[in-house]
Amino acid sequence: MFSIIEGLFTVIKHLFMKPTTLEYPEKKRYQSEMFRGKPYVKIGNDGCVGCGICKKVCPAKAIEYIQDNNKKVISYTFNLEKCIFCGNCMYYCPRGAIKLSQEFELATEQKEELKLNYKGGCDD
Amino acid sequence: MTITATTLKLNLGPQHPSTHGVLRLILELDGEKILSCEPDVGYLHRGMEKMAENMTYIQYLPTVDRIDYLAGCFYSELLCRTVEKALGIELSLRVKAIRVALLELNRISSHLLWIGAFLMDLGAVSPFFYTMRERELILRYFEKLTGQRMMYNYFIFGGVRKDIEHIDDIEEIIKILPEKLDDYEKIITNNPIFLSRTKGKGIIEPHIAINNAITGVNLRASGVNYDVRSNDYLYKNFEFSPVVINEKDAWARYKARILEIKESIKLIKQALEILKKEQSLNQNLINPLTIKLPDGEYYHEIEAPRGMASIYIKSTGLDKPYRLKWRTGSYYSVNFLRSLLVGEYLNDAIAIFGSLDVILPEVDK
Repeated sequence: MFSIIEGLFTVIKHLFMKPTTLEYPEKKRYQSEMFRGKPYVKIGNDGCVGCGICKKVCPAKAIEYIQDNNKKVISYTFNLEKCIFCGNCMYYCPRGAIKLSQEFELATEQKEELKLNYKGGCDD
Repeated sequence: MTITATTLKLNLGPQHPSTHGVLRLILELDGEKILSCEPDVGYLHRGMEKMAENMTYIQYLPTVDRIDYLAGCFYSELLCRTVEKALGIELSLRVKAIRVALLELNRISSHLLWIGAFLMDLGAVSPFFYTMRERELILRYFEKLTGQRMMYNYFIFGGVRKDIEHIDDIEEIIKILPEKLDDYEKIITNNPIFLSRTKGKGIIEPHIAINNAITGVNLRASGVNYDVRSNDYLYKNFEFSPVVINEKDAWARYKARILEIKESIKLIKQALEILKKEQSLNQNLINPLTIKLPDGEYYHEIEAPRGMASIYIKSTGLDKPYRLKWRTGSYYSVNFLRSLLVGEYLNDAIAIFGSLDVILPEVDK
C-alpha cells in the first residue's frame, strides 16, 4: 500500500511542472547549427569545382552534376528522394561548397520539388 | 506445427501495438496457455549485409547507424574499430574518452526508451512520458554535437568528426538522471501491479540462456557475469562493475537496466575527467577514398545495449568488403521466444517479450 501512495505522490508532483512539449506548427524548436537538413551548394568561382568527392562518398547516389567543355560545373542536383542526410558530402567537400541547412520541413505535393537543382544563379 | 481441433492459432502482431508493425508471433493456444510460438521476422529487412558488398567503407559508415536506430553509435564504433585495427591506426586518449562518453550516453538513452516502452506495454502510461523527457535531453545533446538525433555519423575511421563540445550539457544530464531514476523506481519498482505482472514471469535459467546465445543485460539478469566491456580496449582505463542479478525473471531484467544506467553514469563521469585532463585531440584520420582493408578476415565485438554485437568482415584487399556479417543481440532474443513463451499465458506473452528489449531493425538488418 505504501508503494502505491509513494508512486501516486510522485505522479501528482508532475502536475505542477511546466510542460516540456511545444505546440509544433505554431512554435518551432531551435535547431542546432550542426543540424543536417535541406542541402545547399554553391556553384561558381568560389564554389564547386567538380572534383567528384561528394559523389564518391555519398551512400545513396543522390548527387549528380553536369560539367561543360571546360569542366566547369553548370548544374548540380541533389535528389532528396534518395538523400539520407548523412552529411558525408558536406564533411568531405574540399571547397566547403555544400551546406546542409537547418530546414527540415521538406514535405511537398510535387515530387519534382524534391530534386534540388542548383545552377549558380540568383534563384538558387 | 500441427494444429488440432482444440487449439487456436493466433497472430500476435504485426498490427499489435507492442510489435508495432514489424514482428509477427504465430502462437498456438490451448485456452490461454501458449503451446508453441513461431516468430516471423523480416518485415524490416533492408539487406544491410549484402548492401555492404557494393559500397566503399566510407559510403557504408553512415548507414550502419540504422542497424539499431536507438543506439547507432555502437555499430559505427564497430565498423570504425575494424578498419582502424586492420590498418593499424592508434586512437589517442581523448578520442577514446569521447567515444566511451558517447557510447554510454547512447546506452542510457536506449535503456530509458526501453523502460518507458516496457511499462507502456504493461499498461502504465506515465513512466513513458517521464523517460521520454529525460531521453530528450540526451538526444538534444547529440543533435547539438553531431547534427542529428539518431543517425549520428559522428565516429569516423581514426577518430571522431569533430572535437567534443558543450561538456557542461553532459554534466547537467548526469546530474539530473539519478534523481529521475529514483522517481521511476518510486513509481515502478515496488508497484504491486507491476510486481504481479513481472515477478516470476519468463524465467531464464543461466545454462539455457547461454545455450541460446543470449547476451547483454538479459544474460546478466540471469546471474551470469559476462560483460564484453570488461575486456574491451576502449574501456581499459575505466573502472566499472558489471550489473549481475540472480532473480532471472522479467522484473530482474527491468532492475538490471536501471542499475546499468547508474553504472553508465559512473563511466561517463570517468570519461569526462579524462576529457578535462587531455586537451589535445590528436586524431589519426585517413583519406576515406583510399581505404582498402588488407586481404583477410576481421572480427570485433562490443557490448551494445541489447547484448553483444559483433562484426565479421572478409576482405580480398579491395575497397569494398567481400562479405560482411553482423551479430546482433536482439536476433537471438527473438529466436529464444520459441522456447521461452511455451507454457506461459497469453497475457504474460507481451510482458516477457517486452522484458527482453528486442529491437526489430537489429533482428532483420
